[in-house]
Amino acid sequence: MDKKISFNRRTFLKGAAAASAGLAIGSSTSSFNLTGLKPADAAGDNKAQVFRNACPRNCYDTCAILSHVEDGVIKRVSGDPGSTYTRGILCAKGFSYTRRVYSPDRIKYPMRQKGRGSGNWQRISWNEAYTEIAENILKIKKEYGSTLPICLDKYSGNFDIMHYGIEGMMSSLGYTSRATGTPCWPAGIDAQTFDMGTIISNDPEDLVNSKYLILWGVNPAWTSVHSMYFVKEAQEKGCKVVVIDPVLTQTASKADLYLQIKPSTDGALALGMARYILDNELYDGNWLHNNAKGYEEFFGYVKNNITLEWAADKTGLPKAVIEQLAREYATTKPANIWIGYGMQRHTNGGTNVRAIDALAAITGNIGKSGGGAQYAHLQTWGFNYHAMMQNPPEGTEGGGDRAINMNNFAAEVLAAEDPPIKMLWLACRNPMAQDPETSVMRKAFEAMDFVVTVDQFMNATVEMSDIVLPTTTLFEAPGVNVSYWHWWLYLNEQAIKPMHEAKNDITIAMELSAKLNELKPGSCTFPTSGDLEEWVGKEFNDGIYQMFGINHWTDLKKGPAKAKNSQVAWKGGKFQTPSDKYEFYSEEAEKFGHHPLPIYVEELKTTDKYPLRCISPHWKLNIHSQFQNLDWMESINNEPRLEIHPSVAKEYGIKDGDSVKMFNDLGYIILPAKITGTVPIDTVVTYEAWYKSKDFNVNYTVKAIPADMGKKATGMPGIAFHDNFVNIEKV
Amino acid sequence: MGKQLGFLVDSERCIGCHSCEMACKNYYQLHPSLRRRKVHPIQENDYSMPERNYMSLACNHCVEPECMRVCPVGAYSKRDDGIVMHDPSRCIGCKMCIMACPYQVPQFDPEVKKVDKCKMCAQLIDKGEKPACVAGCPMEAIQIIDITSFNKYGAVKLLPGFPNPSITKPSVRFIKPTIGKQIRRDK
Repeated sequence: MDKKISFNRRTFLKGAAAASAGLAIGSSTSSFNLTGLKPADAAGDNKAQVFRNACPRNCYDTCAILSHVEDGVIKRVSGDPGSTYTRGILCAKGFSYTRRVYSPDRIKYPMRQKGRGSGNWQRISWNEAYTEIAENILKIKKEYGSTLPICLDKYSGNFDIMHYGIEGMMSSLGYTSRATGTPCWPAGIDAQTFDMGTIISNDPEDLVNSKYLILWGVNPAWTSVHSMYFVKEAQEKGCKVVVIDPVLTQTASKADLYLQIKPSTDGALALGMARYILDNELYDGNWLHNNAKGYEEFFGYVKNNITLEWAADKTGLPKAVIEQLAREYATTKPANIWIGYGMQRHTNGGTNVRAIDALAAITGNIGKSGGGAQYAHLQTWGFNYHAMMQNPPEGTEGGGDRAINMNNFAAEVLAAEDPPIKMLWLACRNPMAQDPETSVMRKAFEAMDFVVTVDQFMNATVEMSDIVLPTTTLFEAPGVNVSYWHWWLYLNEQAIKPMHEAKNDITIAMELSAKLNELKPGSCTFPTSGDLEEWVGKEFNDGIYQMFGINHWTDLKKGPAKAKNSQVAWKGGKFQTPSDKYEFYSEEAEKFGHHPLPIYVEELKTTDKYPLRCISPHWKLNIHSQFQNLDWMESINNEPRLEIHPSVAKEYGIKDGDSVKMFNDLGYIILPAKITGTVPIDTVVTYEAWYKSKDFNVNYTVKAIPADMGKKATGMPGIAFHDNFVNIEKV
Repeated sequence: MGKQLGFLVDSERCIGCHSCEMACKNYYQLHPSLRRRKVHPIQENDYSMPERNYMSLACNHCVEPECMRVCPVGAYSKRDDGIVMHDPSRCIGCKMCIMACPYQVPQFDPEVKKVDKCKMCAQLIDKGEKPACVAGCPMEAIQIIDITSFNKYGAVKLLPGFPNPSITKPSVRFIKPTIGKQIRRDK
């Protein structure tokens, strides 16, 4: 793009922002019908423009998107061929984006609800909303002498770096309470942190170099379709693909070998394999000698405590199968393991990941192209966090923010004292649908004086709020995105004006700051104006430029950039542990209350009262509570199901399509049965999702049981989502 | 027979992700009810072991299209390359084609009260580009082939659940899914 066009576009965007800010009540910009996207009255020429966008969802793939805009309307989206990871292709979710942007269900203007949960909403102006919010904040501050009664619950709904400005908005008020932790993956992060010092994974494009690949509790065919392409390429080149999963997933359906392990016993399988590798001297003694600490102790533990018979009994897999797997894995080079987030959502999930890491280490696969123990990485996230780094107002007293465990959020909000929590601010988050113990969550919301939610759709969390503020989609505001899996960097350009009265979270922070300072000067430090695209630029630094080989962030307008020299994790053999070595024996682990070695920790088991385990993995047409509500998704599927093994169904007298009640002490859900041999005999499966206008929420039965690890790296342990024990009955 | 373009659907590569279907909807911004391409699950008991396998189908651009034969207003035509075209300006929405097609390909567009169907993105093919579904498949599981010269080992004319091809001679070929080895706990 030459300078002149760039200048024109910026002028256009500034004009658009001004027009948006000046919208009066009743002047909704959009009129939508089902077949045609009516053009909004954009300034500028009528020629089609192509903008670079990035999918900011909590997903491995973080796709590079091109949006094709005519007359201010996105006519379609496509994959950006500039990324060799996404290869110019999106997924079903990415291809549905116009239906999200132009959905008639979008929240169009600020609203106030009279009676939380009543559905009695009334439209208000942004000014009214800001005034009411600011008055509530100032009232709390006056009453408690602090802003700690205000709690922010924000997480993964949008991982664009600019969205950390939401945390910045809170910091600019003073010290507040913060939902801390991450529900998704912390046990595995801690496990790899104990073993290697941090999480670093090979470039997923390197999967094609594997000769043996174990996909362990991960389902890329649904959760990382672009990686699945590289898996298939490897397979076609002769790589044996093994899937270990309690559920015969879509990925398992494409494997050469599928092992239906008993849930939560992955560590037993890994240790059984280690015993075989040890007994048959298939380990890489050289690698261990040079790179590892505590392998003698680990081998001692394995020798004295682990037998293949025990591993077979634990995992439900025949001894001969474990032996063959161990032999093939240890003798085929390079051998790769991709450790999924699903398998660590157990009370022993972290220690199970450590046992799997140990396999990769004893066979000398770590630090090799086509080898390793892949989990995730955060190497490309070294931004300035300019939007996030805000100072509290002058004279703020206290010792900093208060951490509220995101993974036991409702109970901790209710239990918070001195001061109690009185106000919630929710953004990029839908805890009423996605958190465990929904009934406790409801109580926590009911106990609040004031709840503000920033969102795009009327979901379960919005329903329990006093004020809802409409926010922009990724196409309506600029940003910058990286991935926790691939090594690409994408600029997200503003492609269209904000729809309706929606505002970007940073704009909301700026305007709320202005209101707070108008009512009480000096009460908020967040800047009250600024060009959002310039703010994107302020996120960059020399480290990022060097890592990605760019001179300036605006270079990314020409196309995405990939990190240099990052293709193989731990290539140099220097780890980030206290000993600089791979630590089979980790004193850090011990400090956090774990055994220093990756021993086996007993899994939770079904009970007589609750003889079935419910696993609630990701669904292919959504990411948590996003996408499944769109009409294009509904046309493919609009009904959650409970997947039940044929013999279990027979035992309970359940036929395909029958209504089934799944229940435990916490609650129940009723949904149609799907009888399928893809689930095991002791487990039922339903995919977590938010279906518009359906009272489906698997978390009605999920208890907030902590996973074993997560505290070191993420502040809080994870959630053992898949240790959910239930019974079922035909309704 | 001259040229006859058709889809080659590789059900071994297909992961049932619906990207093809959504890429089509995105390209044409279709009404939610219109599914020019549909990803059909293959029944678990159609193979030796339960697996998740799919058959992605759009218009089969039949050699002997029933839709074209029954259309009372000549809205259907067949191009030299075998693509079955449908002209909405002629269509009167009588739905005869919908009843005639063994594959339930033509669909009624409730907005314009006419029939809608896949035209293999003929305008893109003419420019040497790939149809939206082909270009949008993350697994490269769909290709355009000329069935008159296509001869790939292992390609078949039907998969379980696919209607009898003898009626209309559909121009679609499949690669069968392979069933991997499974170690299960219910045996």
